Amino acid sequence: MRDEFIKLNYEIKSRDFINGGEASSCVKKALMQLGIKSAIIKRVCVACYEAEMNVVIHTLGGNMEVIIYNNKVEITMKDQGPGIGDIDLAMTEGYSTAPDEAREMGFGGGMGLPNIRKSSDEFYINSVLGEYTLVKIIINY
Amino acid sequence: MKEIYHSVKLVEENCIGCSRCMTKCPMEAIRLKNSKAVIYEEKCIDCGECIKVCQHNAHKADLDDIEAIKDFKVKVVIPSVTIYTQFGSYINPSLINEAVKSLGFDEVYDITYACDIVSEIIKKEIENTPKPVIGSFCPAVVRLIEVNYPTLIEHVIKVLTPIEVAASLIREKYAKLNYKPEDVGIFYITPCVSWITKVKNTALNRKSQINGAIPMSDIYPSLLKYVNKNKSSYTEKSTNMSYTGVLWAVSGGQCRSMEMDEFISVDGTKNVIKVLNDIENGKFRDVKYVEPYACDGGCVGGVLLVENPYNAKRIALNLNEHINFEYRFGGLSDGLKNKFTVENNINKNYDIKLADDFESAVKKMKYMNNIINSLPGNDCGQCGSPSCRAFAEDVVKGLSSLNECKFIR
Repeated sequence: MRDEFIKLNYEIKSRDFINGGEASSCVKKALMQLGIKSAIIKRVCVACYEAEMNVVIHTLGGNMEVIIYNNKVEITMKDQGPGIGDIDLAMTEGYSTAPDEAREMGFGGGMGLPNIRKSSDEFYINSVLGEYTLVKIIINY
Repeated sequence: MKEIYHSVKLVEENCIGCSRCMTKCPMEAIRLKNSKAVIYEEKCIDCGECIKVCQHNAHKADLDDIEAIKDFKVKVVIPSVTIYTQFGSYINPSLINEAVKSLGFDEVYDITYACDIVSEIIKKEIENTPKPVIGSFCPAVVRLIEVNYPTLIEHVIKVLTPIEVAASLIREKYAKLNYKPEDVGIFYITPCVSWITKVKNTALNRKSQINGAIPMSDIYPSLLKYVNKNKSSYTEKSTNMSYTGVLWAVSGGQCRSMEMDEFISVDGTKNVIKVLNDIENGKFRDVKYVEPYACDGGCVGGVLLVENPYNAKRIALNLNEHINFEYRFGGLSDGLKNKFTVENNINKNYDIKLADDFESAVKKMKYMNNIINSLPGNDCGQCGSPSCRAFAEDVVKGLSSLNECKFIR
């Protein structure tokens, strides 16, 4: 039965630094309960957390969908804007548009998207300025 | 799954089913069944929180009696460094060691020396370990990582604890003096229950060099009597011990003794969980070392101690001002370093998966998520599980039945 999977959904709120990271912890618990290996869980945690914090810091809020299959995890993060003008620039290590508020809290090092890409086997990003950004990550095992 | 010994035990006749321990347990390891607390041992890390919060003495530690030392020809004791914080300000640690010896021991081993050895090894080993490196001193935290944070096992420093180092050095010393191993009894005076678990578990695996753990609270009255009787005539202002070693009793003390920068010291199991979650999410990569303790304030917060942990911390930090600590650790030889660096001191006996194969686990998780959606979500605890989520998991695992929830939709 190859189509067995678990779908998890999390609403991520803009500027919600207090609860940022909660979705990632829930995903981790689910992966452990499904018996997924530690090395994979570690990569999923980092990818989810960075994606979650990106939405908290930069966007008007969004939704994270995580689908756990028996051979891969798919994470899809779609937010409600403002979108990214220059994706190549946003993918550059150290480049950041984080507001001062986020930097003061230790975020905004410009490593979010690069760390997500490093943790994933497949990485897609699509954005329409003024509308949305969609990030899709696949981690195989 | 291998059987694991737990030192936290229930005294059923004392339990009134008040649910205090169930709601306070940081691991959600306690349930109420037929109005009595039950510990789910695979989740329990022996942190001792339930012993602290129970007002009816229904949670107890499984302790060794000091009478056990009589079975050995040579009786050696390793007091926890916390002992020097339990008798008020400025009491010379050497006097406290004398008091311990008077209980019938042949030798009181100075653990601060072992603390200094371990500090030096950590300073070196930190370079070979992924950042942030996590200290392995607190057995409850090590067990927490085994149970819930298998992804962080590689971050745990690969070094024995000062107690194990001390025991190994004692064994060596008496072997050279031609004593048979079975003639030498080594006892640790423990401030907490997690060390009892560690000593007994390693004894089960025949790895332990330590024969027993004696609770500080049991011997405290005798020690206090001795200290009070002798403190006015004890004029010695110096001690052949290490101040940096004494600091291991308090949260932040390890890092202070190593003169480390960029470290986090965290105490209290719930706080440790927050830090471990963050590490797992990839945070704190610029932090060198995390020094975690399950008890509030560090080892001085142990459930078997008498002094208020925060006053104990003051006493530990102030000792240096009135006592001349003559001993300074000379340096670490490669021999010592290799002897006490361990390849892997973490067990992987735990598994929280719902089923052995992925398909069955998915089925159970779907069933579990359906249950969660039909529960009120207010974690009222009337079903005997600490939260609605925990209850759903218990139902799926066959440990509870759905009709135990009175509010299910």
